[in-house]
Amino acid sequence: MTGFLTLLEKEIRRFMKVLVQTVVTPFISSFLYLLVFGVSLGASVPGKDGVSYLAFLIPGLVMMALMNNAFQNSSSSIVSSKFSGDIEDLRVVPLSENEIIWAFALGGLVRGFIVGFVTFMVGQVFHYLQVGTWLGVVHPFALLYFVVAGGLLFGLLGIFVAFWAGSFEHLSAFSSFVLLPLTYLGGVFLSIDHLSPFWQGVSKLNPLLYLINGLRYGMLGVSDVGLVESMTISFVGLVVFYLMARVSLRRGSFQRW
Amino acid sequence: MTGHPIPLQIQNLRKSYGSFQAVNDLSFVVNPGEVFGLLGPNGAGKTTTISIITTLEKRTSGEVKVFGHDVTAESRQAKCKFGVVHQEVINSGFFDLEELLQFQSGYYGIRNNTKRIHELLGRLGLFEHRHKKVKQLSGGMKRRLMIAKALVHSPRLLLLDEPTAGVDLTLRENLWTFVQELRSEGIAVLLTTHYLEEAELLCDRVGILNHGKLEACGPTSKIINQFAQKKIIVETRSAGRKEIMAKTDEVLGDILVASGIDPKDLLDVHVEEGRLEDAFRKLISAPMEAKP
Repeated sequence: MTGFLTLLEKEIRRFMKVLVQTVVTPFISSFLYLLVFGVSLGASVPGKDGVSYLAFLIPGLVMMALMNNAFQNSSSSIVSSKFSGDIEDLRVVPLSENEIIWAFALGGLVRGFIVGFVTFMVGQVFHYLQVGTWLGVVHPFALLYFVVAGGLLFGLLGIFVAFWAGSFEHLSAFSSFVLLPLTYLGGVFLSIDHLSPFWQGVSKLNPLLYLINGLRYGMLGVSDVGLVESMTISFVGLVVFYLMARVSLRRGSFQRW
Repeated sequence: MTGHPIPLQIQNLRKSYGSFQAVNDLSFVVNPGEVFGLLGPNGAGKTTTISIITTLEKRTSGEVKVFGHDVTAESRQAKCKFGVVHQEVINSGFFDLEELLQFQSGYYGIRNNTKRIHELLGRLGLFEHRHKKVKQLSGGMKRRLMIAKALVHSPRLLLLDEPTAGVDLTLRENLWTFVQELRSEGIAVLLTTHYLEEAELLCDRVGILNHGKLEACGPTSKIINQFAQKKIIVETRSAGRKEIMAKTDEVLGDILVASGIDPKDLLDVHVEEGRLEDAFRKLISAPMEAKP
């Protein structure tokens, strides 16, 4: 257990050492998203089920920040270890595969939670200034479920991608060509109700839709998809990504770049 | 040895990559308080062997045990018993030396290992640099840090994969002294090196690998006696300068008599003892069937 806690502590202290990169940058980007999409363009975009577009946008941005940062934390930690050469230590020290996987995944969740919380607080300020009220949390347990599921799921995905990556380009390609489109098309900015039935069907194949809408349900009580459906798909995703992380740890490369 | 597990026991180890045999039926042991040198040219299988012990590589077949624990089946127990210094230097950028060593200790289940860490940093001349990041260290300091990392959990077996590659003579000599201190503390050391002078000085026993196969294994002096010759340079009044090659354990008087040299005719004698380098060269260059 001490080994696991040590690796988790190292993962958390690692991103705390570069706070500008890990917390301040997402703060600025969420500020800009809310300013441009939430306040300026948002005035002409319809909300959903009586919720203003700004309120609709905030949980989407929170989940986007959480997922991106959870992914980046585990993947960049492993990739930078491959570059510096201390990745071999992970194989040599007496840590089990599960200890390594969950320490990285939880490290991702902690960073994702911090950045998501910062985004939420920025959103609160915007909402107060725009609407005159603070944004509440309608279903706190659902919110907690999707925060934990989203953070762990993307922490695990980061482990999988980082162990398979043979260079920085592989990691960057995955972020640009897979993660980014799925995030943007997963209902962060718009309800899929505004899409044609065909594109609604396509959107429902995107697993991120369920995480984003699950968190939106927890915060606002509105969602494009059913709660049970979102919870089930998120849980299945968690199991699948855990297995993928395990396979990558067993078969992926521990060689330095 | 009964009742005390052997620090490292390798039995019929094989590692192949497709049709290429990187390690071929390798067997040897490293005993407590012994420095064992695994020598061989580039690509002989030295680093592959260390990688299999540390589980960075999977063996194709054979047995590798550390203090009686199989490195795969009982990897946690085995890993707690050894420390390893890899060939390549690490450049970890986020933490200072003391933080890195605390993390390393934590992986082995040891929290607040400050006393041991300070002791190691002191012995390796890094104490005053303990709050520096790795990138701020010189190449030699990085090497010493890697040794400290390998020793934080006080292992009884240390694996040194070419620890002196590319370091200057002073540091190399300091590391030799350190290895000798570890040996006197009863720590078993498996050393791979290209510096045969280093192996001759440090190693109680050596194994010479070529193309993954152990060509010779035994006490360093015995390997030298068996495979190297000493050179005797004699200068006589009648015949001038003459070089005689002889087995290293032959007595000088017998050699001179056998060479027909009259002691009264002798002006000067100079003996160049057989070196491990000569034995190594002979073993590596000779066709396999010609080896004794």
